[in-house]
Amino acid sequence: MRSFLMAVPMTLAAAPLLAQDATEGSGTLMSLQTNLMFWTLLIFLVLFFLLSKLAFKPITAAVEAREKSLEEALAAAKRDRDEAARLLADHKQQLDAARGEAQKVIADARAVAEKLRNDVLEKSRAEQTAIIERAAQEIQREKERAVAELRREAVEMAILGASRVIEENLDSDKNRRLVEQFLSTVRAPKGMA
Amino acid sequence: MRLRTLLAVVMAVAATAAVPGRALAQDTPLSGPRQAPEQNPGLKHMLGPADLIMPHITDSRTMEIPWFNRDWSREIRLPSWPVQVGGRTIDLGPTKHVVFMMLAALLCLVTLIGAARAQARATRETGHPKGFAAGMESVVLYLRNEVFLPSLGPHGDGYIPFVLTLFFFILFMNLMGLLPYGSTPTGNVSVTAMLAICSFIATETAGMIALGPMGYMKTVVYWPSDMAVAVKLPLTIVMTPVELIGKFTKPFALTIRLFANMIAGHVIVLAMIGLVFVFGSWLIAVPPIAMAVGIMILEVLVAFIQAFIFALLAAVFIGQIRAAHH
Repeated sequence: MRSFLMAVPMTLAAAPLLAQDATEGSGTLMSLQTNLMFWTLLIFLVLFFLLSKLAFKPITAAVEAREKSLEEALAAAKRDRDEAARLLADHKQQLDAARGEAQKVIADARAVAEKLRNDVLEKSRAEQTAIIERAAQEIQREKERAVAELRREAVEMAILGASRVIEENLDSDKNRRLVEQFLSTVRAPKGMA
Repeated sequence: MRLRTLLAVVMAVAATAAVPGRALAQDTPLSGPRQAPEQNPGLKHMLGPADLIMPHITDSRTMEIPWFNRDWSREIRLPSWPVQVGGRTIDLGPTKHVVFMMLAALLCLVTLIGAARAQARATRETGHPKGFAAGMESVVLYLRNEVFLPSLGPHGDGYIPFVLTLFFFILFMNLMGLLPYGSTPTGNVSVTAMLAICSFIATETAGMIALGPMGYMKTVVYWPSDMAVAVKLPLTIVMTPVELIGKFTKPFALTIRLFANMIAGHVIVLAMIGLVFVFGSWLIAVPPIAMAVGIMILEVLVAFIQAFIFALLAAVFIGQIRAAHH
């Protein structure tokens, strides 16, 4: 642009050569008038200078500023929307994660409860068995004690009976044998033991 | 709406006053060195319509201004300013067209700078301009973004003020001729030639800036890089004058197009009105005047179109040379 401005005065200098000197002042239709060309150039350059500086530059600058602010607003809106979308996605993800976590916690709890229940059941079953076992042993012991008691009692009774018998027929070996024999038959049925 | 009404009023006034009072009353003296019938009363009745048309479309040292007398006009003589240039005396005094050119420039300045100021103020206050400033802004923006920038090519912003100035200056000069007592500076070949020379210089300078000295020389001397020298040499001899002629044809076409378009409309309007005086009857007056009004309305359109075409072509030429790669 600057060299353009520099070039114009050269044409101004050349203008008289270009113009066939027209009739003084008023020309015919197709003649070039030096003075009019000079004024055209002068006025055009002044106008060009003033308009560029005072009209076109401010108008363009204002429009560009407005365009820029609009673009910025658009960009900001887009940024905000993206941000919002990102946040939404984040939240969704977090929600999903939380839901998964909850699911897992519930599943874990369920598993623990199951295990606990099984353990408890197992233990109670074992205890039950143990109690039954113990009871059976107790019964067995009681029975054995009762049998021994009974036997002792029987022996006492037998002795008592025998002593009676003895009182009747004193010292009869035959009798004693008889008693022993009897007692052995008493022990004989094993099912009673 | 207001603008349209204003335009209609201006049109009506312009159409009725296109032939100033002096032409209506043919017995008043006609100015200029070629017409001096007051010295020779015998010549008076020999004045044909062409003698009335020519002073209206050519430049002169005198101009008419509105005046309260029988003719509603008064002739004033413009000052002369003789300047010594290289041994020759050139009168650089303003002429009728210079005065109207100054007026057009002044209107340009007032309109555009006013619009810029209003736009700046409105933008500060509300963020966007309104009314006339918004209109001017949209015109400037449309021309810049939709017309000139695409023609100028990439990074053509630097040439925008130049083509915009061309457009508005030419537009206002074109419209000057539609005013009563007005005259169209762009209807003078000297003015359009100077504007075309400006655009020519801008074009060549743009070429030098965009292409560099060697690149620019290639737009003058035809020298394709992808040919054998034996082929290139005869081609160059033939094509270089063609390229040169092409360079000078463009401003020449610009000159003639604008000048002829502006002259033509005025000649038609004046011829229409001249019909009334040729027939010398009130009865015959209505159709020519109606037609003259129609042509005047067309002239408004032409004023805009020609300004647009001149500026657009200037932009296109600049864009062409900037994109020139041989």
